[in-house]
Amino acid sequence: MTSTINLEGKTLSSTIAKLNAPLTQAFNPQLLSSEQPAAAIPTPTYNTQAQRLADFDTLIAALEYAASGTSGYNFYDAKGNLRSVLSYRALRQNAQAAARQLLGLGLARGDRVAIIADTTPEFVEIFYACRYAGLVPYAMPVPVNLGSHAVYVRQLRGMLEAGQASAALANVDYVGFLKEAAEESRDLRWVGTPEQLRELPALNTELAANSPDEIAYLQFTSGSTRMPRGVVITEGALMSNLQGIVRHGLNIRAGDRCASWLPFYHDMGLVGMVMAPMVAQVSVDYLATRDFAIRPLQWLRLISRNRATVAFSQPFGLKLCTLRVRDSDLEDLDLSSWRAAGVGAEMIRPDTLRSFAEKFAPAGFDARAFLPCYGLAESTLAVTFSQGGQGFQSLRVDAATLVDKKVAVRLQVEGRKYSEFVNCGRALPGHTVKVVDEAGGQLPDLRVGSVLVQGSSIMTGYFNNPEDTCKTLKPGNWLDTGDLGFLFEGDLYITGRRTDVIIVNGRNIRAQDIEELAEQQPEVRTREASAFGITDANDVTTIVLVIECRLTSVTDRQSLTSRLQRLVYMAFGVNCLVELVPPHTLPRTSSGKLSRFAARQGFIQRTQMTDQLSAESGDK
Amino acid sequence: MLNDYNEVLQKLCHHLEQLVGPGVEITPQTDLINELAIDSVKLLNLIMEIEDEFDISVPINALADVQTVHELASLIHRIKAQEQ
Repeated sequence: MTSTINLEGKTLSSTIAKLNAPLTQAFNPQLLSSEQPAAAIPTPTYNTQAQRLADFDTLIAALEYAASGTSGYNFYDAKGNLRSVLSYRALRQNAQAAARQLLGLGLARGDRVAIIADTTPEFVEIFYACRYAGLVPYAMPVPVNLGSHAVYVRQLRGMLEAGQASAALANVDYVGFLKEAAEESRDLRWVGTPEQLRELPALNTELAANSPDEIAYLQFTSGSTRMPRGVVITEGALMSNLQGIVRHGLNIRAGDRCASWLPFYHDMGLVGMVMAPMVAQVSVDYLATRDFAIRPLQWLRLISRNRATVAFSQPFGLKLCTLRVRDSDLEDLDLSSWRAAGVGAEMIRPDTLRSFAEKFAPAGFDARAFLPCYGLAESTLAVTFSQGGQGFQSLRVDAATLVDKKVAVRLQVEGRKYSEFVNCGRALPGHTVKVVDEAGGQLPDLRVGSVLVQGSSIMTGYFNNPEDTCKTLKPGNWLDTGDLGFLFEGDLYITGRRTDVIIVNGRNIRAQDIEELAEQQPEVRTREASAFGITDANDVTTIVLVIECRLTSVTDRQSLTSRLQRLVYMAFGVNCLVELVPPHTLPRTSSGKLSRFAARQGFIQRTQMTDQLSAESGDK
Repeated sequence: MLNDYNEVLQKLCHHLEQLVGPGVEITPQTDLINELAIDSVKLLNLIMEIEDEFDISVPINALADVQTVHELASLIHRIKAQEQ
């Protein structure tokens, strides 16, 4: 079956379309029978070609090389069956064909193409097709929340507008949402499914080579419904970051194989687990995010069965595994091949790693595989990596001094209250990390401040958004990461986020977006809502929304509270605590702006909650 | 066997009761978000239980139009009927 896959494009695409039964299969009785078509063999771990570690000028140059080998992408279903195989060779062929069809739509070089990024071969094909055609692709999320139809369509509309997409694609499950979102668009020339694109006439043209200084893709960074921001990454920045990841960060070698459940619309999924393996000609096994979230064991089984060596997760994903995998499942797992267990994308708590290691040690998991790293989409993906093969290192610092003086003092005596932070390692070659105070002055070791990054992977800005670009890219092209941390002996420790981002279950939610939702209610005035996160001792983060409220009737107050909870749920998929307080309760800065930091302190005092997150500073 | 909507509803309510704990009355009109506070993590558990119980695969795009117990039961019933 794999041999037919490497034949000509048409057969291949239809095979893949069939093998990669989309979610609609649930409605198709024939496909759900026990004799589901399954691809025979995944692409091999050991390649026939000499390994080149990301020493290419462009993404397409890397794919052209990978296509001469035998490795590629493999897609597994919820039951762990291999559903489709997309070798890099087949990917090249399909992407080139789709590129000519995209050009047949009359799109010009540099035009944007928006794609809803389900974990499918078609997404990957279209993404690379855009690069073959000189177009700029960007990934959009799939809906994840109950009752989120309207909110999801709004979110898509925001992204279509912010990226000024000329064409948009989604598979048959999501194209309905996409068409709704596209209704009022002026820029869009075409909306459809990859299958529909395949039916279109191809422009018979030579595909021009890309140059390192052109835009490779946009990466949208937050789940925000209003004003989403598209990070602009050039080919040069991308290749620089990929080289840093595969050489310096992961030390990729023959015998490596990746396994991933990370969504293709997140930078860690797309850059880290789609592009990075390809530029090093490494095979990858994919599980859809939804399938992982419901049955995390399947990811570990994939690692075990295919002897994967490299697999990344947010801490939240590791927590899901620890919580949801039964002890009886451990007997069938052998995780001893897993040499690089990358952890990043949100604050890493040592206890999350310890619990995971403890739980999976009987299944052969080696805690030395933990590879904490730090990065963000604005720096393509990675900024720092810890030393491979050594497990995670951490530092215990005195909690009180950290809060009062913003200084990390290493714990000298036992029994004092401490905060423990994970060592995220050093900057990739060609990058520098510094920590600065509020005036922008560089801070010495162990002083907590804003984390800034400079180097070859930094974005050129947010697409069509000079205002936010200016706020984030400081003079000297220093990227303000929005994170707080300190340096110690050259290594970076992240201590928290500034209060403008709340991370719940691994998802970044902008406090401003929640406040704006509240302010859209007739009972709530502008600047009378404040949102922030509270993290309890069990590391569970809850969103709190404090509203200054003039309503007196119990029914009216109840109605506002439950409406707000519902709106927040539908927009972000999380529950929130709503507190109604009398006017003038929320603390304001001298300029009349609400201070979320102070609002949070006030809430903690009122409710007597103790909050272990200690090192967050106030808004600027 | 499970073609009967009422049987689906009954089983679904049983799972929901276990998820949200005692003391909450669940009817077809109950709102999953507002009244039962099903957050994203609870939702994953619920889908897993539904998939195991009814031996179906719940498409994620269909959940975007589900808000009440009745809507979820209908969805399960529909998938189940089409699979047989």
